[in-house]
Amino acid sequence: MIRKEREIKVIYVLVLAIFAVFLAVPIVRLLMESFIGEAGAGIENYVNVLTGKGFMKALGNSVTVSVSSALISTLLAFFMTYSIQYTNLNKKFKTVIQTLAVLPMLLPTITYGFAIIYSFGKQGLLTKLFGTQLFEIYGFNGLMFGYVIYTLPISFMLILNTMGFIDKKFMVVSRVMGDSPVQTFWQTIIRPLLGTLAASFVQCFFLCFTDYGIPASVGGEYDVVATVLYNEMLGSIPNFNRGAVVAMMMLIPSVISIALLKYLERYNMRYNRISQIELKKNPVRDGVCAVGSSLILLSVLAIFAVIFVVPLVQEWPYQVNFTLEHVQAVLNDQSLFGVYQNSIFFFFCTALIGLLVTYGAALATARSGLNGKLKGVIDAIALVTNTIPGMVIGIAFMFIFSGTALQNTFFLIILCNVVHFFSTPYLMMRNSLSKLNSSWETTASLMGDTWIKTIVRIVTPNMTSTLLEVFSYYFVNAMVTVSAVIFIAGARTMVITTKIKELQYYTKFNEVFVLSLFILGTNLIVKGILGYVIKRKEKKEN
Amino acid sequence: MLELKHVKKSYDNVTILEDINLQIKDGEIVSILGPSGCGKTTLLNLVLGLTPADSGQIIFDGKDMTNVPMEERGFNIVFQDYALFPNLNVYKNITYGLKNKPEISTKEEVDEFIELLGLKEHLNKKIEQLSGGQKQRVALARTMVMKPKILLLDEPLSALDGVIKESIKQKIKEIARDFHLTTIIVTHDPEEALTLSDKVLIVNKGGISQYGAPQEIITAPQNNFLKEFILNQLEIKRNNIFALFQQDITRKVQAV
Repeated sequence: MIRKEREIKVIYVLVLAIFAVFLAVPIVRLLMESFIGEAGAGIENYVNVLTGKGFMKALGNSVTVSVSSALISTLLAFFMTYSIQYTNLNKKFKTVIQTLAVLPMLLPTITYGFAIIYSFGKQGLLTKLFGTQLFEIYGFNGLMFGYVIYTLPISFMLILNTMGFIDKKFMVVSRVMGDSPVQTFWQTIIRPLLGTLAASFVQCFFLCFTDYGIPASVGGEYDVVATVLYNEMLGSIPNFNRGAVVAMMMLIPSVISIALLKYLERYNMRYNRISQIELKKNPVRDGVCAVGSSLILLSVLAIFAVIFVVPLVQEWPYQVNFTLEHVQAVLNDQSLFGVYQNSIFFFFCTALIGLLVTYGAALATARSGLNGKLKGVIDAIALVTNTIPGMVIGIAFMFIFSGTALQNTFFLIILCNVVHFFSTPYLMMRNSLSKLNSSWETTASLMGDTWIKTIVRIVTPNMTSTLLEVFSYYFVNAMVTVSAVIFIAGARTMVITTKIKELQYYTKFNEVFVLSLFILGTNLIVKGILGYVIKRKEKKEN
Repeated sequence: MLELKHVKKSYDNVTILEDINLQIKDGEIVSILGPSGCGKTTLLNLVLGLTPADSGQIIFDGKDMTNVPMEERGFNIVFQDYALFPNLNVYKNITYGLKNKPEISTKEEVDEFIELLGLKEHLNKKIEQLSGGQKQRVALARTMVMKPKILLLDEPLSALDGVIKESIKQKIKEIARDFHLTTIIVTHDPEEALTLSDKVLIVNKGGISQYGAPQEIITAPQNNFLKEFILNQLEIKRNNIFALFQQDITRKVQAV
């Protein structure tokens, strides 16, 4: 190249350095730890863990409950997306479905568990309403319920996205060719979606398998891999080397899941163009979809109702008069509200640093003449960060940074989150950047711009929407995650989710729910503001 | 004068251009014509400095430019998709380069380009409010403000239709004549090349098939490729148009 692109090379090296120090080294260390036993290095730990009864049972439990939840989530999500894309239901109703379906994403998973307890438990809100406890919440049922709530929004977005790109004209073709309704349904909706449905299943499985928040609250005696891992590391008799083995074992299904997802990508059908057609009038179909979707959403919302009810009454379930006492107590308690304030600052930093890292990485891959193999390294990093569960990163960080100056610093948590959530925002950035006109940099440099100047004056102003989306992605995810930070957050670096975990220990559930409300509120505000800015920008452009 | 001597370029062992020798005089309009994949865009990028040559020399006014970086050569290009900056309005696009090098054009000169290209009433518009022909003229103005020593145009007419095409052609000729500006145009359309330029360079399979004035190419094609692909195409067009006008004439005659 005659163009030197010195700046982009510097950025590339910096990005790589970050992932070397905060991803590669910790994971390698984790691997090493898993082989170190009392009698020196060897596979002793693996033998111990795998032959121990507890682990295999937990693994079986994990697989069973994750598979069931993933299946249910995907089915429910398909039903809701179908209601949106293939019925003549009222537009407003569809918007409501779309908004409510993704709402649970704005809350930490650890809250879902407590919400289930307070809904279906012996003294639960719904138990009171129905007059009897519907099912035993601790164990399989509770876990599955929690996992479904957790994964439903993700599955919903995944399927809705693909469904929007299915050309509906093929339904007309199928019908005029004499297909029966069942055949039409199969050929023009299910077939093109198969890849995505499978992907949704795998993605949900992965999320359930690696989540710690839900088992932490409603797992009960039903051990899953995540609880075993937590107990090995932070339980009453910790054994770090065994913990490392469990972490490695958790990595295996994750790697398989991501490999499967990659493989399934090729089943995604591509239509050349999307044409809108008038859907057949069918009141029965519409009615069933309306009732079904409403029921699904109502069940989800019913559970979340307790988050609003419990902290706003005197003493659940005995004194149910309205009061702001608990909210006020949290606001006045510096140990609680201080954590909230700290957290906000820290999530803001996470979003900002995450933005810079993903932007730099995406600029290197989408807008430079770097060697294809070098670009491939960043893509591979994105894939790897997608594969590694939060808990595993957290434990790896614990091994490598304990005793260093970085231990118990917000900086460490920030980088942990930046690395952990790198994949999705990076891909968002890369896609938008590669859609921008490829000749801008050349043109601008002929006009006397330096590369940095072009990025500031031309590329960045045309990326605002994506930049804001990435910011909000990082912010919301940093806010609701618990699995990674639980291992590296110290007393001085408490974030909201780890505080919630601590409050659970002292059974202070009013505070748990008040903090959850704060999280929900903050996320809604951030998403709302950024969403509004993005919409206004897009409107101005059209 | 621009001179290319034994210029060679290959990507991953696939030869794109082989031993290109070429001279372009000052103020000439030269079209590079050839089928897609023949290497004509690569040739343009070599002159621009975007792609380095494997071997050979590029000499401009006696100075060896082969290893001079793109920004320092003083040439400029209008890309096929114009590469206008959508976050800036028309006027800011046109004067973009002046922010970096204010001395290059005076206010009067800028106004002259705007006048010449008929952009006066569009200056405050956003890029997406413009038609294809208007975008092309903005891109031309933005490049002309930089006073390039050579103007490179990549498929300048391919995205435009009918009458607009003819008017942009006219503008390009005017600019080259008024500013005595060497202009190199890449195109795949023989009609465009032969009606727009002083000289046409026909490229095929990485080599120069023929280089000469339009008249020479029409009257004395040097090989089969030229006859079959270039001239044949023009003849079909000519016959179709003649037939069309013939009908019209016949009808008029009958009406009388």
